[in-house]
Amino acid sequence: MHVDPLSVQVLAAILFGLGLAIALTRRNIFFLLMGVELMLNAVNLSFVGFSRTHSGEASFTGHLSPLFIIAIAAAEACVGLAMVICIVRGRDTLDADAYSEMKE
Amino acid sequence: MFPELSPLLGQVYFWLFAVIAVACAVNLLLSRHPLIGVVSLIGVMLCLSGLYAILHSPFIAVLQVLVYAGAIMMLLVFVIMILNQGKDHQVPGFDRSAIIGILVPVALAWVVCRELPSAAALSQAAPERGGMHELAARMFATGGPGFDTGAIGQGWWLLFEVGGLVLLAAVVGAVLLAKRHLETDADKADKADEPARLSADEVEAHDPHGAH
Repeated sequence: MHVDPLSVQVLAAILFGLGLAIALTRRNIFFLLMGVELMLNAVNLSFVGFSRTHSGEASFTGHLSPLFIIAIAAAEACVGLAMVICIVRGRDTLDADAYSEMKE
Repeated sequence: MFPELSPLLGQVYFWLFAVIAVACAVNLLLSRHPLIGVVSLIGVMLCLSGLYAILHSPFIAVLQVLVYAGAIMMLLVFVIMILNQGKDHQVPGFDRSAIIGILVPVALAWVVCRELPSAAALSQAAPERGGMHELAARMFATGGPGFDTGAIGQGWWLLFEVGGLVLLAAVVGAVLLAKRHLETDADKADKADEPARLSADEVEAHDPHGAH
């Protein structure tokens, strides 16, 4: 299949930028988590795209790394959502700017 | 292994998935309610799964649907619906520092997109990668008997085991984190019940006395 490797990388960069924008600008705590997930997905796409353009061992490395990234992302979502449950139960708000008592 | 699309069809599918993925990501950036955002993110992940299939990584495509769209997003929907107090509309979507937060990713994406065409790695020919058994052989180094690290020696199987340990630790940590408040709630209920139980204990303690 003749997919241009450059367009794959540009798409990954755009998705990473959008995920970073979501994680930086949104104030709802769920959107922060979703932005991080989107960034991880963009990095996965970049790995898979580069595994098509490299040869030999690097190709397999680019193919295998997303497996571990997905596993770690599952662990991160699990612990992150448990922490969100923990925080929101005591605080009763989803605004990330309200969680600031370590600053004061 | 799996049927090869024609070059034109591959291009069409690639741009279809790319446009839908970017549109869903923009919708995620702009949506008000977290559930709409979750549905958009599921759309992004399904499109990325299709892109992995086009890029000859069917196992990662399946894993993307199973783990991301299936497990992680389901967990996210579950937690949103647990915590949904009807208040999430009142959390402001953006604040004043959002302009900086938009500018940083735009600058990053611009630099990456400007530097990428000169990357030497992109000009190489696409290699032929093996199927699942090849991947498993690389991962678990199944050249010799058992887990033979010397045969191929990248140590992927060790990372695999460590990933399993991390997942186990995350599950235990999540249960502990989410359970602690349940315990304190139960403790509060116990404290509220305590006088009644004390009196019941006293009655029980006094009853045999009275009987004797």
